[in-house]
Order: sequence, then structure tokens, then C-alpha cells
Amino acid sequence: MSMINAIVAAVEQVTPLVKHFTFVKEDGSKLPPFSGGSHVVVSMDIGGRVHRNPYSLMGSPEATDAYHISVRKQENSRGGSVFMHEHVTVGMPIKITYPVNLFSLAKKGHKHILIAGGIGITPFMSQIADLNRLGADYEMHYAFRSPEHGAFVEQLKKSCSSRLHCYIDSQGEQLDFKALLGDQPLGTHVYVCGPSSMVTVVLETARNLGWPERHIHNEQFLSPPVGEPFNIQLAKSNIEIQVPADMSMLEAIEAAGVEADYLCRGGVCGRCELQVLETDGAILHNDHFLTDSEKVSCKKIMPCVSRANGKRLLLDL
Amino acid sequence: MMERGYWIKSKPIYTSLVWHEKATSHLVVAQGQGGLAAIKLFQQMHPQQPVTTLYEHSDIDANFAITLKKVVPEDLHLLKSEQEVVSLLKRIMPTKRMGLRIYVAGSEGFIWAVAEAVKEFGIEDADIMKELTGTLARSIYCVHCKAITHNITTNIGKCSSCERMLFVRDHFSRHLGAYMGLMVDAESPGQLPEIEEIYP
Amino acid sequence: MASTFKKETFREDYTYSNSAEAIKRFPFPFPEDQYMYSVNIEPHVKGKVGSVCEFTFDVDEHYVAECLDKKITLEQDPGRYQALPHMMDAQWDFLELTMESLSQDYPQHFSLNKNGSVWTWENKPLGIKDTFTFGDSSTLAMEPFDYMGRQVQGDFVLLDHREETLFADAGIVTSQADWSLAFNVGMSWREWHGPVPRATELGVMDRALKHLLNLQFGSPVRRLNWTMTINPRLDTSPENYPQWGGDRNAVNADNVSDLVHLRVELQTLFRLPRSNAIMFSIRCYLINLKDLSTYSRWAKRLHRVQKTMHPDLIEYKGMTKFHPLVVDWLAKFDDGAALDVGTHAE
Repeated sequence: MSMINAIVAAVEQVTPLVKHFTFVKEDGSKLPPFSGGSHVVVSMDIGGRVHRNPYSLMGSPEATDAYHISVRKQENSRGGSVFMHEHVTVGMPIKITYPVNLFSLAKKGHKHILIAGGIGITPFMSQIADLNRLGADYEMHYAFRSPEHGAFVEQLKKSCSSRLHCYIDSQGEQLDFKALLGDQPLGTHVYVCGPSSMVTVVLETARNLGWPERHIHNEQFLSPPVGEPFNIQLAKSNIEIQVPADMSMLEAIEAAGVEADYLCRGGVCGRCELQVLETDGAILHNDHFLTDSEKVSCKKIMPCVSRANGKRLLLDL
Repeated sequence: MMERGYWIKSKPIYTSLVWHEKATSHLVVAQGQGGLAAIKLFQQMHPQQPVTTLYEHSDIDANFAITLKKVVPEDLHLLKSEQEVVSLLKRIMPTKRMGLRIYVAGSEGFIWAVAEAVKEFGIEDADIMKELTGTLARSIYCVHCKAITHNITTNIGKCSSCERMLFVRDHFSRHLGAYMGLMVDAESPGQLPEIEEIYP
Repeated sequence: MASTFKKETFREDYTYSNSAEAIKRFPFPFPEDQYMYSVNIEPHVKGKVGSVCEFTFDVDEHYVAECLDKKITLEQDPGRYQALPHMMDAQWDFLELTMESLSQDYPQHFSLNKNGSVWTWENKPLGIKDTFTFGDSSTLAMEPFDYMGRQVQGDFVLLDHREETLFADAGIVTSQADWSLAFNVGMSWREWHGPVPRATELGVMDRALKHLLNLQFGSPVRRLNWTMTINPRLDTSPENYPQWGGDRNAVNADNVSDLVHLRVELQTLFRLPRSNAIMFSIRCYLINLKDLSTYSRWAKRLHRVQKTMHPDLIEYKGMTKFHPLVVDWLAKFDDGAALDVGTHAE
């Protein structure tokens, strides 16, 4: 997979938990243009082990001198966000993928309702730039814990002006999803990014009100969950690999030197799908990609986030 | 050419009308024989949300209109032509909100005229429940002169504009609301296969 | 790459011909003796020097004549260009990709100068020089996709990516193998591929779609497709079928090698950055059987492929009438000796 060699140009503490990173290209040339809602996968070498995490691009898709991402420190994570917060400094080289968009705006939409919770604001930053450029009708609804956790509010006030609606939990402000989605003109699309509880409520509310599925959009990258160690066998490469508790299958496969396809590494895009040839245990599907019937059939697995609990899991790789 | 081995993935899907449980409001649009489909719909458990009904018919289908007046509790509009249906739709659609569910019953030509009329309000044809009633007659797009000829019931039909004899392909364009018609005797002028009624 | 462009026609008197160099670089599509419809997608990376894949877009000796033929077709039928309103970002993506690639790969013919968002484009072979503002359609004489679509050989379709599928929401199509843009515009992947026989049955189209939905910016892909055309005619559209359909009756044992052309499409697909759309390019190469038989390996292989073709595919490709003549003519080249896998000429 082609990667971009970048350098960290700036690091900024935005809220007590969120840091903002600016990347420029190592050779000083412009980065590729992208579309609102895109993300890149950032590679990190943590103690000899490569972590790859997806982060939304926040800047304006027009300004390609630099890319911008923001990372919320997840204390109980496997280390990617902690590494970004504690070890990534200005001047460091860093490898990123080309932008990929799994959360694009519906270009035929007549109106766009954007709903963010906390760090879920990041993909909307570039979408807002696109919506402003296109002169589109939209509303930005942004919920966060307390005033000091409201990342980028000042920036949003400038770019969205009266289209911005903030809901500060510590001040008792609640977003009434049913009232919001129950009275929108035809042709409206809703987009949500935030904690999974919020995503679930928005999806359910829209569906219960009779919104067509094509008008409902969400982005929810999963971190590979920590689990029990297990072993996998690769048929084509003819090797056996142990997947440690705090590593994903995909990471273990890569660490063993076997090349595997991937894009989002968050259980969304489907690119890393592998065929299961034999298994003697259960597959712990954690992805949002496979259908329920595919999950039950145990013939496919998404190694970026899913795990297994048997002794044998023979994969077509 | 290309008659054989043609798959029909592009053909639209028509079903029987049933209420969507999840909705904020409903819009039923029927024509002619489609009146019966609308009556059947109203015999199902009535939805809690408001329903608007448009029915266009001629004298032949007056009985359906009489029954509809009995079974539709409110907001029923009886209309005399497709143009009246389209212009009423253009008036009421701007007042509708997300969660509106649309149900259409009638001839294929009517169904796609309604789909076209509501398109500008952000409604995709896949969001419309459609029941094909009465005739199977097709609208044919002449790929050569671009005219659309309605009510073709045969495997081969004459283009109303350029008068070429057109073979009706099972390939449907939603934006034109018509099947593709291709000159049948271009390779051997005047030699026509047997013309049969297959879309009665 | 040709340094001179031929004056030739793709209609009426059909003066089109291939030079020895053009024959040698012809993208012969059959690596094996049997043909199966397959996705056969590979990365669109730089090919060998002189090959049709040497550059992002191939500009060959037919460039000027092909662009002229395209202009005639568009004048006669403006419906060959379609772009739905939400595709404007994709239009500018297309303009940028074509201008940047052509000026980089063929600096002797094309140049692009950028002064902020004010760009100056020069196309020497076609005698075009324009200055415009990137992103502002009012500064070009026509829509950006139309403008550059006329300056690159081949057909182009811009696919919008939404609802887990692709929609053919814009196109400039003048050298198609019998499909109508005016009819197909706005169709989803499945509706569009409705007519391909046997392919849906095999799930080929679903697999191809899954692959394309994950197509990444910076990693374009390509595949070859083929059919046969009577006369070197680019515009074998359904629109003009009454004009060319009858040509199939003219094929006989004496003229088959002059009239019947192998028509190969080099299809390339690019993810576009600003719009997240996919650009589908279909570039058509034509060669008559006589020129193709310059290389006996190709003639042998083509004979075997045609002899074993499924009748449904022969019919789908519109070859039923003249197909036996093609097989008969090619038979004399086939000594039955085994051929190694690959599309090479010698």
C-alpha cells in the first residue's frame, strides 16, 4: 500500500484530553487533495511494534500544504493514542496512508444535519469546509462534556456561525434527537460521529421516524479490542502465528512479515476480509462490515478488529 | 441483436402496497385500477400518522372513487388527469417532512410520472413503494430519435416520432421512466420478426 | 509515443490504419487459449516504454483524428455528454487529473501553468490555449469535464460513490461498444450491468464492485475488455445502430480480414480526490485481422479463443453473423502447437 512520508510540523494541546497534530510532506511538496470526511491511517512504531490508527482529516480539503488530525487520549487503549500524546513531537517523521473517505457527504442531499459527540467532531471539520464551499444548507449539533472539553468551538463558531448548536452536558444541556429529526424538510441527510451510545440513539431515532436508510450516515471506527491470545494458521504462507492479547490479528499477521490488505483498520471498510477455511472454535466478530448471516456462517473474518477463541483458525492467506 | 442472454437487473421492482410502520406521515397516490390497491391498503390496520391520498380516475373507475370516499377518513383528493396529480404533488410536497412515506399504484407510466414529480424534493424512486396495476403496457425510449412512446403492449413497437420499428429491450431507465427501444430491422431492412402482444 | 499524428477517418471512407509501430504495441487481450469473462483487474502502474500503459493516458498516432471524430459525434448528438448537477467537484477532479498527467507525460505536446487558482492550459496538437480559474466553470467555454473529455482519446464516465454502490452520474461517450449514455446516466452499478450475460450469474460484477468501492486515490487500476467491430468505426453506439448495423452483412470470406476489427478497450479506474468519485476511462484500440496476423502468435491465439467461445457471448458481442468467417480465416495460422501463457506478440 502506498504511503506518504510526512513530518510532524506542529503539536498543540487543545483540551485536557485532545491534542492536535499538523503534518507536512517530508519533501516539502503539497499533500493530495481530499474530500470532506476523509481519514488517514497513521503508522506508529511503538517499541518495535507497528501500530496503525485511523484519524479523520480536519483541515479544509482545499488547503493541502498540511494535514491536520486530532487525537483524544484513551487511557485504557492499547497505546496508540497514548503514544501520539506522549511521544510524538515536532520534527518527527511519520508515515501516513493516502486519504480514504468512508464518511462522505451525500452530494444530492438538500440539507445536512451533522451530529457530533466529543472527539467525534473531527470528521465534520473538513465536511463543514466542503459544505461552506458548496453553499449547502446544514446544521452542526455538537455535544460535549463540559466547557473545557469543547474542542474547536471557537473555530466552529467562525466557520458555522448560526448553524452551530452546542450542548454542554455539565450545564444540563441535552440534545433532543427526536425533536431534531422529527421536523426536517424532505431531502435531509443526518450524519453522526461520537460515542457508540450516541450513534445508536441517532440511528434508532432516525429509523423509527421513517428516515430512509440512505439518508442516515455514521462513522464509528473501532479500536481493536483486547482479548485472550489465540493461534491462527495461514494456508498459503504455510505458517502458524500467535495473536497476543493486546494485538489484533491483522497486526500479528503483519508482524510475522505476511502482507495483508487493509484500509480503515476499524472494522468498517471490508478491505482486509479473509476467508476462513477451517475453525474449531467461535469467531468473535467485532466489525461493522459483515452481515449478520455472514457472521453466523463463520466463513469470513475481518482481522483488523475480530478475534477467535479456538485452537485452530485456518485462513486463506 | 442482444435479445438473448439478457438479464433484467435494471427492471424496477413492483410489490403490493403495505403501510410502513415507521413514518411521520403517509402519501398515497393512485390512478385507475390502482384505486383497488389503495382501497386494499386502507383495509389494513390504519396508521397512526396523518395520510394524504390522491386518486386520479376516469368514469370507468368511478366505483373505486366511491369506495375510497367511504374508507379514507380525511385528506382525500379526487383528480381527473395525470397533470392534476403532478401539479397537486408540487404544491403539497414542500410542506412534507422527513419520515413521509410514499405509496403509488397505477400503470407503469403513471408510477414513473409520480416518481419524476417528487424527485426534485429529494425523494429517490427506491423510497417509493410501487404497485403495478391494470396494464403491463410499457413506455419505450427510442434510442435513435430520443422520443418516448407510451402504451406499447407488443414485443416490437413503432416509434411515435421517427416511425422506426423498435425491439423492446428488458433494460429500464428510471430517469426516463422507459424501456430501451432499438431498431429491429437495421441489419435487414423490412424483415420483422412476428409481432406478439406480450405486455397486455 | 507518436511524434506525428495521422490524418484519417473513423467513418464514411474509413481511412484509419495502424503503422507497424502501432501494430506492435497493440494491447492484445488474450493470455490464454480460452476466454472467460472475468474481472482481471490489475494496478494501473507504469508499463514498458512504448507500451499503451507507459503513461497514465496513452496518446498515440491516432490522437488528433480521434479527437476530431469525437467532436463530430458530439455535434451530431449532444446527448453523448451528460453530467448531473452534483458531479461538479468530480468534473474539476477530472480536469486536474488529465491536465496534470498529459503535461507531465507529454511536455512536447501539452503544458499546464498554475498561478494560484489561475491555470493556463496549452494543447499544441489541437491548437488550444486557454486561461481559466480552477473551480470556476464560468471561466471556461464549456463544463470542465466536457472541455477535457474532448482532449483525451477514449470515453469517460464519472461514478458517484454513495449507498455502498457506484452511480454513473456523468459521462462523455463517443466510442462505445453499444451502450447508451443518455439511457444509462444516473444508473447504479447493478442497473448498468444488467445486460452483461453470464457475468451476474457468476457474481463477477458484485466482486468487481466490492473491489472498486475500496479503490484508493493514488492507486488506479486497469483491465482489458474486447469485442469485434466491422470497419474501424469508433461510434458503434445504439443511437447510430441503423447506420452501422448493416455493415455486418457485408462481411464475406474475401474481405473478412480487412473489415473485421478486434476492438480492445483499455479500461482504467481512478479514485478522484475532492469528490470521492471514481473516473472510469474506456480507451478503444482497433486493429483489423490482417494487421493482427502480422504476429502469428496472436493469430493462433485468437483462433483458439474464438473457436471455443460460448454462443451467448458471441451473441452478446453482436458477432453471430460473421463469427464463422473469422474462425475460418484465422484457422490457417493455427498449426496446433502449444502457446505459452501471455499476450506478447513474439
